[in-house]
Amino acid sequence: MAGVLVAGLFPGTGVVSAAEKRIEFNRDIRPILSDRCFYCHGTDANQRKGDLRLDARDAALEALAPGREHDSEVLRRIFSDDADDVMPPPETNLSLSAEEKEMLRQWIAQGAEYQGHWAFQPVVAPPVPAGPMVDGHETGREIDAFVTARLQEDGLTLRPVAAPARLLRRLSFDLTGLPPTPGEAEAFASAMASVAADPARRQAVVAAEVDRLLASPHFGERMASDWLDVARYADTFGYQSDVAMNVWPWRDWVIGAFNENLPFDRFITWQLAGDLLPNATRDQQLATTFNRLHRQTNEGGSVNEEFRVEYVTDRVETYGMAFLGLTLNCAKCHDHKYDPVTQRDYFSLFAYFQNIDESGLYSHFTDAVPTPTLSLATPEQEQARTLAAARVARAEAELTLERNRRRDAFEAWRAAAVPPGEGVWPEEIGRFSFDALTDGTVANALNEAEPGRVLDDVALVPGVRGQALKLSGENNVSFALGGKWTRDDAFSLALWIKPPSVMERAVIFHRSKAWTDAASNGYELLIEDGRLSAALIHFWPGNALRVVAREPLPVDAWTHVVWSYDGSSRAAGLKLYVNGREAGVEVVRDALTKDINRGGEDRLTLGQRFRDRGFKDGMVDELHLFARAVSPYEAAVLAGRPLVPPADPSAEAAGLFDHFLLAVDAPHREKLSVLRTLRQARSAAGDALPEIMTMREMAEPKPAFVLARGAYDAPTTPVSARPPEFLAGIEADAPANRLGLARWTVSRQNPLTSRVLVNRLWQSFFGEGLVRTPEDFGLQGALPTHPELLDFLAHRFMESGWDFKALVRFIVLSRTYQQDSDPPPDLRALDPDNRLLARGPAFRLSAEQLRDQALVAAGQLNPAIGGPSVDPDQAGRRSLYTFWKRTMPDVRMDLFDMAKREVCSARRPLTHTPLQALTLLNEPGFVAWSRRVAEAAAAEHPDDEAAAITAIFRRLTSQAPTDRQLAILRQLRTEQAALSGQDGTAASLAGLQAVAQAVMNFDASVMKR
Amino acid sequence: MTPIPPFPAPAAHLTRRHFFSRTSLTLGGAALAHLLGRDAALGLESPAVAGRGLLGQPHFAPKATRAIYLFMSGGPSQMDLFDYKPRLNTDNGRDLPDSVRQGQRLTGMSANQATLPLAGSAFKFARHGQAGHWISELLPHTASVADELCFIKSLHTEAINHDPAITFFMTGAQIAGRPSLGSWLSYGLGSEGDNLPAFCVLVTKGKGGQPLYARLWGSGFLPAAHSGVKFLPQADAVPFLKNPEGVSGPARRQLLDRLAELHQSEYERTLDPFLNDRIAQYEMAFRMQSSVPEATDISGEPESILDMYGPDVRTPGTFAANCLQARRLIERGVRFVQLFHQDWDHHGGLPGAIRSECQQTDQPAAALIKDLRLRGLLDETLVLWGGEFGRTAYSQGKLTAGDYGRDHHPRCFTAWAAGGGIRPGVCHGETDEFSYNISRDPVHVHDWHATILHLLGIDHERLTFKYQGRRFRLTDVHGKIVTPVLA
Repeated sequence: MAGVLVAGLFPGTGVVSAAEKRIEFNRDIRPILSDRCFYCHGTDANQRKGDLRLDARDAALEALAPGREHDSEVLRRIFSDDADDVMPPPETNLSLSAEEKEMLRQWIAQGAEYQGHWAFQPVVAPPVPAGPMVDGHETGREIDAFVTARLQEDGLTLRPVAAPARLLRRLSFDLTGLPPTPGEAEAFASAMASVAADPARRQAVVAAEVDRLLASPHFGERMASDWLDVARYADTFGYQSDVAMNVWPWRDWVIGAFNENLPFDRFITWQLAGDLLPNATRDQQLATTFNRLHRQTNEGGSVNEEFRVEYVTDRVETYGMAFLGLTLNCAKCHDHKYDPVTQRDYFSLFAYFQNIDESGLYSHFTDAVPTPTLSLATPEQEQARTLAAARVARAEAELTLERNRRRDAFEAWRAAAVPPGEGVWPEEIGRFSFDALTDGTVANALNEAEPGRVLDDVALVPGVRGQALKLSGENNVSFALGGKWTRDDAFSLALWIKPPSVMERAVIFHRSKAWTDAASNGYELLIEDGRLSAALIHFWPGNALRVVAREPLPVDAWTHVVWSYDGSSRAAGLKLYVNGREAGVEVVRDALTKDINRGGEDRLTLGQRFRDRGFKDGMVDELHLFARAVSPYEAAVLAGRPLVPPADPSAEAAGLFDHFLLAVDAPHREKLSVLRTLRQARSAAGDALPEIMTMREMAEPKPAFVLARGAYDAPTTPVSARPPEFLAGIEADAPANRLGLARWTVSRQNPLTSRVLVNRLWQSFFGEGLVRTPEDFGLQGALPTHPELLDFLAHRFMESGWDFKALVRFIVLSRTYQQDSDPPPDLRALDPDNRLLARGPAFRLSAEQLRDQALVAAGQLNPAIGGPSVDPDQAGRRSLYTFWKRTMPDVRMDLFDMAKREVCSARRPLTHTPLQALTLLNEPGFVAWSRRVAEAAAAEHPDDEAAAITAIFRRLTSQAPTDRQLAILRQLRTEQAALSGQDGTAASLAGLQAVAQAVMNFDASVMKR
Repeated sequence: MTPIPPFPAPAAHLTRRHFFSRTSLTLGGAALAHLLGRDAALGLESPAVAGRGLLGQPHFAPKATRAIYLFMSGGPSQMDLFDYKPRLNTDNGRDLPDSVRQGQRLTGMSANQATLPLAGSAFKFARHGQAGHWISELLPHTASVADELCFIKSLHTEAINHDPAITFFMTGAQIAGRPSLGSWLSYGLGSEGDNLPAFCVLVTKGKGGQPLYARLWGSGFLPAAHSGVKFLPQADAVPFLKNPEGVSGPARRQLLDRLAELHQSEYERTLDPFLNDRIAQYEMAFRMQSSVPEATDISGEPESILDMYGPDVRTPGTFAANCLQARRLIERGVRFVQLFHQDWDHHGGLPGAIRSECQQTDQPAAALIKDLRLRGLLDETLVLWGGEFGRTAYSQGKLTAGDYGRDHHPRCFTAWAAGGGIRPGVCHGETDEFSYNISRDPVHVHDWHATILHLLGIDHERLTFKYQGRRFRLTDVHGKIVTPVLA
């Protein structure tokens, strides 16, 4: 009997007595092969020894010799006594037990049949074992049928239903994360008492209670708690710093989705690919923040691409664990050793998750939100911004019309115009000839009060006219002028430059704090791969405009360059002129929607930038600054091209009309000034509005490759986006983007997702899943304790339209769930881990639940739902809202095994340590709450010690004390009152507080049983 | 230890039940030690490795039974402390030759520098001890124990930024989520004593520089009981150690007695052995309330010992105080004490900054060696000193007379080891004339870890934990023991 029981209890662990059953590959053999053999004889071709693979029958046939055990090389090797011959080889530190060897022998004798891995087989509804409904449990009866059928094999039955108080506590924590109030407990107890004799009516009472809890807004909070672990939700970026990430609006969306019972296939689809849905709503886009919750770095000197790859990697691995229940991590560097996941599969998933315009670093020096982002403006704010933008658009259209209306004025002016020449141009605000250095400054010919400042000796060398600057790459010349230009200002710079060689990268001028450390926020003119590159940037690359000249910059020759920007925030409004002619440019980005003035000093700097490559050995001469866009005509004149007199017929072709409009014509210039004001108003309405990181697919997918050994700088074979090949294929016409992946994920083709989700929910209620490795449904993972039940639930979940609340209801209304959790001693001995489910669940409350229970008991819980995360010491908000720091998590919650939230986690360990005891006994919060509990009880029952103690006990354990417990606590109260050194009411209260403390530390309060 | 262990196994649970049947009547030391990590592997091993990874005792006779790791966070400059390179002084100001750099990647901080001028050390070097170790004038006290030390001048790592590099050194992986070195030791060996955690962490107070984070002493996927316990420089060094205000010792004792009675009565009703575990948990907490203050109270230390550690030792939270604290903890059976001293990240103004760090750390580190030697503990205590990477031969930022900075350098750097199982006086590995590349006997981080485990009696290939379907090790699939440094 015991042998049979153990065999059934621990399928696949090798303790089955082989003589008793036909060997079954998935249950008996695969765990052995996977654990001891596949490392060298499995899927990874690079690791394979002796050209033998045992993971596929065809390939293994010769070595196995099915049915011919005496010819079997596999058997000969595993039974060998020769250290050089035996398998596994001694140096692997692996070995086979005698039972395992015998099992392999029998399996080969019986024909060495293989089975596909259970979790990769389609989900098919299994037949439900026949049997009577148990105790009126109509809903959930199939669960009871599967569990009972299994129990009957061992002559066991379900335990009785838990007492009402215990059952309600279990239901309340499982469905809301909160204990029942004393009122709820009383009402439930009396309702149950009134129907005690009638199982069906009892069930109706429980069902009504369950429906009440499912309708509670705290249901969403409770379910979100689990989901936040999977989603590695935290309030700070992590890596090195606890800089706020501001993603709580996504958390609130999750709570709402659970409360509204958003069908789970949509819950998944929105999070993976909400941005790709047609006419995506704000919520659908917000859901995709799921993919941006990974850690991000701002560590100076980090390689952008290295960390971008890390982020995409995290998305892939989170997807794998959250939805496929697979640990894909191994396959980043090589084919998976145990599971059929190839490195190619890994990077085919990678291809889905990398197509957003993102940076590998978040901005250390500014608070700009890493792109891509979604605006979180309120409807009123959004309306105000839209209105302001519409005003700008109208003024821009008006300006185009105005242009044509000014032709007559232009012709009149042109006839009389004096040729522009060496004098000062309108709105030219700075002119620097760089002919002399005086006390670390260079003179401004137009304004003595605004010279340039020289940092570290800059050399003067003969230039285009007089002297010029020669820069070292480390030194610079900077100006207050130009330091405050915004994206709404039109501004221009003209200068001569002489690069010494074809420069891969060099900063000519900029206004910004830094390159990657500030996401380049500001404006900049660079040389990139020998070409001029001009940009205005809020957060590079996703919120910026950049144009790059098509022609390379001449080398070792003086070239005149003009940057002319019209204040439009559009790439078309930024023009480059090279030697007086407009340069053809490629528009690299054209998506600037926010300010460019964050971080750093308000100075325009020539030749160098923090942690960027300076204009080493480059020369600069004759810098002019303009507080407006300059015309092609002026650009030509500044470059020293022959002046075309205005009256000359060819002058118009040279851009004279633009010159007239920009620099001369007062009515037009007045309209430009109005437009600038309107643009400023639009920015004022929009720049400060909150944003959140989301996914937004780029128009063109980024090329994806297998990265050798997973290294960011080692791309090899190109790959395209597709799900792992060993799982049933995606439909041919599915889009090769995240939406295609999401639809495949929730399709019937995918055997894993519904199983994985059902299993995690089961784990949430029972402490352990039906598969006890929720993060690994692969070959090394645990086999399900109740495979048919798992498949039944997974199938039913999909059939129901992924109705999550219905699934919850179905499970908690089962007789199996409602069992009492105290087993008779022999059952505990036989099944210490409750694999058979012959009793109800019993495990410690989570970190959040322990704190929330104390808050409720103290009457200090603020039941508000959602909002920004909070300092837990400041407010009686639920623990779900504790501002979660990745690098220094709240020590109290950390001690109670709260998930770290650095990476996706499918379960928390549950430990019991002395440090937890010290926390519950001495932590100021718990101490204060125990005092409040005591005070309330004393106020309610001023003259009845027993009643006061009972009230305390009820508040903290959701049940009444037994006589024995009450006696112990009364003694404690008396002793502690005496020891308190106080008298009268104070002593009495001190005694009651000690009672509250003791109960708060008592098993019945710490555990959910 | 945990009612629902992540990897339950029949064999382990039999053991566990037997354990309780033996101990449930008396809540003796064994049961309590169990709570702090001794035998913590019980009930947590997968069936496949039960009996191998579960270390009731070390894999082989250990050379050291405990260890103290003086971690110098930020990356101390090897060529200003130990790796004497006169060529840098001769070539001061010249660009680092391309033939030396060999296209090696630089951090984003100096990758864009216009020049990479070599910077000679501003400090004088001399040979010390019979071994003739080269040691900079910055470390006179360390020089005085030179013959106890073994230098490894050829450590190298893969990471070039602090976060991945320090995570790599502390956990054997650059990415987050793996158990720390101390957690592995706690998991494998447990604690020697019954009243203190197996793995304690001491951080020098009030330091700037690169941040530290709980992950560096976290248990990763091992049970949380194996996390390092950070001792704070105050009377209740462990979180929430002190009774609340107004609660006297006798009152607390009595409360715990009644609480135990509640649990006992519940046990009698249910016969759930876990309730005994809970009683033991509270007894252990109570004992820690006295054992931790006892361990951290240095008032009984003789003046001569305090003087040896230097004047800072009287200020709680200084590196000196922490070194003394480390000795007191290991004396009381703590398996592994991890010290962190930040602010070695000298990108600029290195000569001034490194002098200050040396002043804070030199005398206490040397005193720790001497103190352990005096007590006869050095032979069984492994002491380690080092950072997460080294620094560049060239100056980051401007090189001027007497001032320079150095960027991160993962390709070579120096650490030292002393005590249990270490061959003193050895200098292992060499770098080129610029301390830029290793010229002989490279030692990877994984090798360093393998060697540490070896000295503590652990075969680094056999201390494993099965998680997410694979067996994890501190050394991943790498690591070679550096035999020349073994005694």
